[in-house]
Amino acid sequence: MLAVLGSAGMLAGLVGAALLVRRGIAAARSDRPANLEGAVRVLVAGAVVAMGAMVLALLTDDFSLVYTANHHAIATPFPFDVATAWAALEGSIVLWGLVLTGYTWLVFHLHRRSPDRLGAAALAVMGGVAIFFFGLMITVANPFEVCVQAADIGCLESSPWPFAAVEAPANGPGPNPLLQNHFMMAVHPPILYLGYVGMTVPFAYAIGALSLGVPGPEWLRRSHRATLVAWSFLTLGIVLGAWWAYEVLSWGGYWAWDPVENASLMPWLVATAFLHSGIVQQRRGMLQAWNFILVISTFSLTILGTFLTRSGTINSVHSFTQSAIGPALLGFLVLTLVGSFVLFSTRSDLMATSPRLESLVSREGTFLVNNLLLSVYAFIVLIGTTYPLILEAFTGTQVGVGEPFFNRLAVPVSFLLLLVIGFGPVTPWRTTEKGLIWRRTRTSAVAALGAGLLIAILVSRNGWVVLAVTLGTFVIATLLGLLWEQARKRSMRTGDSHSRSLQRVVTGDGAFWGGQLSHAGVVLVAIGIAFAGNLGEHAETDLSPGETTTFQGYTVTYESPFRKTTPGKTIVGARLTVTRGDDVVGIVEPSWNYFGAQSVVGTPDVLHRPGGDLYFTLRDLPDEQGAIPIAFDTSPMIWVLWLGGLVAVTGGVVAMAARRRERRPAVEAQTVDV
Amino acid sequence: MSERLRNVVTIGLLVVMATVLVVLVATSPTDTDRVQAIGERIKCPVCQGESIANSPSPMARDMMGLVAERVADGGSDEAIVDELLASYSGAVLLDPPARGWTLLLWIAPLVALGAGAGVILWWRRHPVEPAPVTASDEVTGRRRLVPLLVLVGAFAGIVVVAGFFLQERAGPATGAADLAGEELDDVSNETMEAVIAANLDDPEVDGMRLALAERYYQAGDYRSAFPHYLEVAESDDATESQAVAALIRLGWMAWDGNAEVDAAVGLFDQALAIDAGSATARYLKAQVLWCGAAAYEQAAGLFEAVLSDPELPEESRDLVEADLAAVNSGASCT
Repeated sequence: MLAVLGSAGMLAGLVGAALLVRRGIAAARSDRPANLEGAVRVLVAGAVVAMGAMVLALLTDDFSLVYTANHHAIATPFPFDVATAWAALEGSIVLWGLVLTGYTWLVFHLHRRSPDRLGAAALAVMGGVAIFFFGLMITVANPFEVCVQAADIGCLESSPWPFAAVEAPANGPGPNPLLQNHFMMAVHPPILYLGYVGMTVPFAYAIGALSLGVPGPEWLRRSHRATLVAWSFLTLGIVLGAWWAYEVLSWGGYWAWDPVENASLMPWLVATAFLHSGIVQQRRGMLQAWNFILVISTFSLTILGTFLTRSGTINSVHSFTQSAIGPALLGFLVLTLVGSFVLFSTRSDLMATSPRLESLVSREGTFLVNNLLLSVYAFIVLIGTTYPLILEAFTGTQVGVGEPFFNRLAVPVSFLLLLVIGFGPVTPWRTTEKGLIWRRTRTSAVAALGAGLLIAILVSRNGWVVLAVTLGTFVIATLLGLLWEQARKRSMRTGDSHSRSLQRVVTGDGAFWGGQLSHAGVVLVAIGIAFAGNLGEHAETDLSPGETTTFQGYTVTYESPFRKTTPGKTIVGARLTVTRGDDVVGIVEPSWNYFGAQSVVGTPDVLHRPGGDLYFTLRDLPDEQGAIPIAFDTSPMIWVLWLGGLVAVTGGVVAMAARRRERRPAVEAQTVDV
Repeated sequence: MSERLRNVVTIGLLVVMATVLVVLVATSPTDTDRVQAIGERIKCPVCQGESIANSPSPMARDMMGLVAERVADGGSDEAIVDELLASYSGAVLLDPPARGWTLLLWIAPLVALGAGAGVILWWRRHPVEPAPVTASDEVTGRRRLVPLLVLVGAFAGIVVVAGFFLQERAGPATGAADLAGEELDDVSNETMEAVIAANLDDPEVDGMRLALAERYYQAGDYRSAFPHYLEVAESDDATESQAVAALIRLGWMAWDGNAEVDAAVGLFDQALAIDAGSATARYLKAQVLWCGAAAYEQAAGLFEAVLSDPELPEESRDLVEADLAAVNSGASCT
């Protein structure tokens, strides 16, 4: 029954997408306003019904669906049963489709307010992307196949025909244990997808603008907010993913340059470059062609990321052809790249010639450097992630590319970026009056070196830590100085109080100051990484019950092993008391979780302290006498990293919510911005 | 304070502070954790992309133990890395060397950075002047070049991807190699049976068989596991370790499933003939002799031989010692 409903939903989605493409193209070709609402409604309804049917099947333990039979168990508790809807490949494509239709709905509403050819063309592109994903669902990643031959647990044979004679198993094996361990499973994929899929919107407007031959900044203006929404979600998704890896997954850290992590970082880097270069085009009319390249790259990287994470190619190049999803996604990627760039090249004669870049020491100059650095950064991650796969596919040679490679190349680029973030916001557009930048940064330079000296004397003389604090202080002090200067000037002009002027300056240009808030967030992330990555301490020891050891001034007493059984899993762990002097700091229970017979997932326990975390990992199960091998780690100041991530996201939200000010083109000299 | 004086003072202050800071950082005691640093350069053989420094797996811990030992002995980084790579198959250097295939990895980002900077500087020096309304031949020529270049690039991309596909498709549609990765977990037994049936001539089929048989074995389905283990044991393509693993399983199934003591002992002996050092074969043979034939002395001798193996893991040692004590005390097996 649900198979029929779900299949109908997928078909409706496909039909709606096809209708949208057809009507969208027709509307983009003529000036006659076209009615796209019907198509969008069918598309959205289809996606909602498909996702609804999946969730319903999971909630009602309907094992007649292969997806439920193979990824769900009766014992799977809420909310993991719902989250299972996107825990495996087929379901994740349904989620992708749902999010895509959500964004399509948004674009449609923007379009309806002032219907024109550009909006219609963008909707047609979104429909085209939706055709691919609904097509994927119906053909190679069908989540509504029914089980026609059941095993004791799970399903042996399936049929895509929803009316086939069903033989449902009594129970299933449950979702991937790694994902059953924490509520983040329910939250993280949707947030990441809201980021990934949102990048379709600027892409759709860009392709629409290219098709119509209107490469001016209108497409940027239209998609600006959507880009910020997607960017904010993508940032949040990456930060939450790092937090999850650190706090729950026992991966030993927040970032390991794992291909799955890299897959989300690459589009983020290019999208960040795009956000900046888009501003240059809107203000100065420059970088028109470059913006198309960036937005096409961002969208392509989201597809590449999905290909890398969902085709199994990362685990083994040879699993590539195991399922048709890999070739399908790779084919779509190539089609996107080739189609977009051919279209782009045929429109290159329409690109307006750029105004002259008068000086590199200008806002647009710093944006150029920032774009160069971000692009090279993305390229480093791209080549490091894909090169081993490509090399192995063609030559069979196995090479590893891991943390040492990425750190050696990406860390210097990151510090250069911090430096550019410091100078960019205080550099005026076009040309710079002699000495202006010096006047605006000299105080913060003193403050920065002062902060660096303080850290070096009081905390650590580790070069990376000192450099991160110095550059970070420089960025933030420069921003505060700029804010102060603008508020003071406004006070002198209007006679308002300083505090009122401060408020007015910020609210008067929310987009700019939202961006600066994100810059501050990036700074905090860098400082958090520098501390946690360079000043962490590590120790390992074996403890028997009752034994005590010391670590970094803390006394750790191993009380006893424990075993807990909850529906769906058994937890075996160790209970330890952590004291400092006479105060009990906390009780920790690092553990191993069993799901069914074979799958075991380690879960660390973390004590959060103001100076940083104490991190406990069980290296193995307690033996018969209850003895455990245990690892202790410190992560100094790691909360600064999480805080920074949230600040960066908040900045994105502020910029997005800011009232769009009709910007004067920056034709006058640098006084415009001050 | 005049502006000029203020500037001089600020610059002086900055220079002094920067100098002190650089000196402080440069003279900081370097306590780089060499063990950790070396560990981060080696991929853990049984994990997905984790280095041995970060993986909690027992093998990674063993390898880290070896690194610590060698560092304590004063071995050089490169020697330790080389030793690990040589002695653990599947261990891969995560820090690609700047030579051979991986030289490109290091060069390409630098080239990209240089090229990007070059473009920006070129643009600064040679601003594109607004094009005249009627384009000259030269201009249209240049404009035609861009689509041409893009088309050539796109074509190259298609060729590369097509090559990738063809490479993949060159083997049988469901090649054994296609399933040889860690994704095996996601493959059903039936699929594996089908793949094996389709690839009987593929030398890699023995690995598949062993993996599949292992699943049946773990599930207690000896009947399904048996033919696959037998094929591997008799296969000419199987590696020695594969053959030994299969023989050991066959031996244990013969005893555990059919109570055939002689057959089991014979199979264990075959395994030991290939790998005389196999502690598992020796231990299980002792178990069967003890439990099935009440041959206490023979069993005790074998247990002792197992214990004399210096590489026997500590946790197994306790188990074998307990068995040896039980045999020596004349207890019947449990």
